[in-house]
Amino acid sequence: MYTVVMRHETATSVSLTDRIRDTVLPDEGRIPMFIYADPDVYSLELQRVFGRSWLFVAHESEIPDPGSWVQRTMGAASVIVARGEDGIIRTFLNSCRHRGMKLACEDFGQGKMWRCPYHGFAYASTGEFMGTLVGAPYERIAYPGGLDRDALHLIEARCERYQGLVFATWNLDGPSLEEYLGPMTWYLDVLVGRAEMEVVGVPQKWVIPCAWKFPSENFTCDAYHTATAHAFLAKLDLVKGVDFGRDGYHVDPGNGSGLGIGVHPEEDGSYFPKELHDEYASNLDADQLRLLHRVKNFHGNLFPNLSFLIPNFIKVGDDWVSGMMLRLWQPMGPDKIEAWSWHLVEKKGPDWWKRKGRATYVQTFGMSGMFDQDDTENWELQTKNAVSALPRDDEVWMHFEMGIHLEPLGDEFPGPGDVYDGKYSESAGRTYYRHWRELMLEER
Amino acid sequence: MISVDHRFAVQDFLVAEARLLDHRRFEEWLELWTDDATYYVPVRVSKKKPAPDVNDDIGLFDDNKISLTLRVRRLGTDVAWAEDPPSFTRRFVSNFEIQPEEGGEVRVRDYLLMYRSRGDGGVHDLISGEREHVLRVEGDGFRLAYRRVVLDQASIGTKNFGVFL
Repeated sequence: MYTVVMRHETATSVSLTDRIRDTVLPDEGRIPMFIYADPDVYSLELQRVFGRSWLFVAHESEIPDPGSWVQRTMGAASVIVARGEDGIIRTFLNSCRHRGMKLACEDFGQGKMWRCPYHGFAYASTGEFMGTLVGAPYERIAYPGGLDRDALHLIEARCERYQGLVFATWNLDGPSLEEYLGPMTWYLDVLVGRAEMEVVGVPQKWVIPCAWKFPSENFTCDAYHTATAHAFLAKLDLVKGVDFGRDGYHVDPGNGSGLGIGVHPEEDGSYFPKELHDEYASNLDADQLRLLHRVKNFHGNLFPNLSFLIPNFIKVGDDWVSGMMLRLWQPMGPDKIEAWSWHLVEKKGPDWWKRKGRATYVQTFGMSGMFDQDDTENWELQTKNAVSALPRDDEVWMHFEMGIHLEPLGDEFPGPGDVYDGKYSESAGRTYYRHWRELMLEER
Repeated sequence: MISVDHRFAVQDFLVAEARLLDHRRFEEWLELWTDDATYYVPVRVSKKKPAPDVNDDIGLFDDNKISLTLRVRRLGTDVAWAEDPPSFTRRFVSNFEIQPEEGGEVRVRDYLLMYRSRGDGGVHDLISGEREHVLRVEGDGFRLAYRRVVLDQASIGTKNFGVFL
């Protein structure tokens, strides 16, 4: 029988943090629907989640040369991720120190400096203020006392890298990137550290009317949706049964991130191209290499909003093929995101692997991908319901109990974190909301 | 120069093709494509002049007859949720420039404006782009051997491409 759970007060009379404290109950497998699309929750997220977490901003291969840069977004803030003339990668607020105009107005570029289009204030690729460049005589007339070069240095985020992934944070005193990633580093080695990787072309970008946490939690802990949401696979005889979504491991690294690793029997041999096995072996330890050779799909999310995926391998001609990707669910408000999708491939991979992988990626995932179409529909309609839950006096709960009584594997799996046999668990999703709740309640 | 009759035949073909898509007659639409067809939609980028603003290294569509067939077969199932109920679409094709090629092929440029709505909320998406096609005469009429669509957005304002361009 359905019981209406009343909140102890109406929404308007309870403070937001009290409501989050009382109703976000991951240990019980219950998450209230209001947290997905509430404008007040979103404002607090920009401050306490996006303002304090390590955020993915670029892949190294997008800024290969000194002076190359890309324009990205951290939370709501436009930033420039640049490889300085000195070769060091930094992330700056894309905002002139004079009057706050954007310095970089295009998607990417290359140069020794940025010159503000408003008053000509100019900054080196390393962030140092260089002068107004209107002409020294004018600058001396306008600022007879001179300009304080140090005070006008670009506002700089903390910027670190792991296996080619560039991250930045405004949390200047918090943990290092490697500490923040924790057990995820072992899995990121397999994902993007197995070989030298490069972005193919530029990211696809498109706008989805959905709240940012829906896709993030999907990649974190949702292997169960594949059999239903992507039922076309079985209908068109592209897979046998639904095992493709279950066989493997669910990984809860304990820090809000999560993974699902689909594996095939070891005796089937590796699906990855044999031309790359030496490179893989030189970058991975024996346990990581053994896991890689069994991977048939690999998905996950790095808290808060960077997802990744090696889609289920398929046979194209005589070859096993998959086209991997990184995904950023860039929030554009409480109920809208810009999805960013980068296709990554091994730089030294054989041509057939690159060619078939790219086509497979575009046809199955991304803007026109047959899988993504199914997913965008779900996330949009969940978001509409989350918006409609806002004015209700009762709390509408989401069910997050899958695998709540399961015990993680012991030594039989070599990777770190709590690892569960079979992908059907929402353990990492519960940890995602534990971590989210902790951040949202953290006063500073 | 091509004859007026030839020009009208090309235009009629592309107008009829748009109508097949808007009426969701996907299997008939698929028959318009040659077996060696290429269907490609590059990614547009926001760049300062005079740098190119189209990136051909990766596509939003990167398809051939086999993959188009798979997309159409999928739309024919009862589990293609994102297009069921289907979008209401209206494709406006115009601004034809027609150029004869070697071997009887015809190269066409045109503009596409597609209206798309799921029928709810009183809202719609508009998708605009310039298309390039190669038409070939096969059997009783034209077939599409090549299409490339350059869209007018670097960040696409429709939630997916469950619809063809």
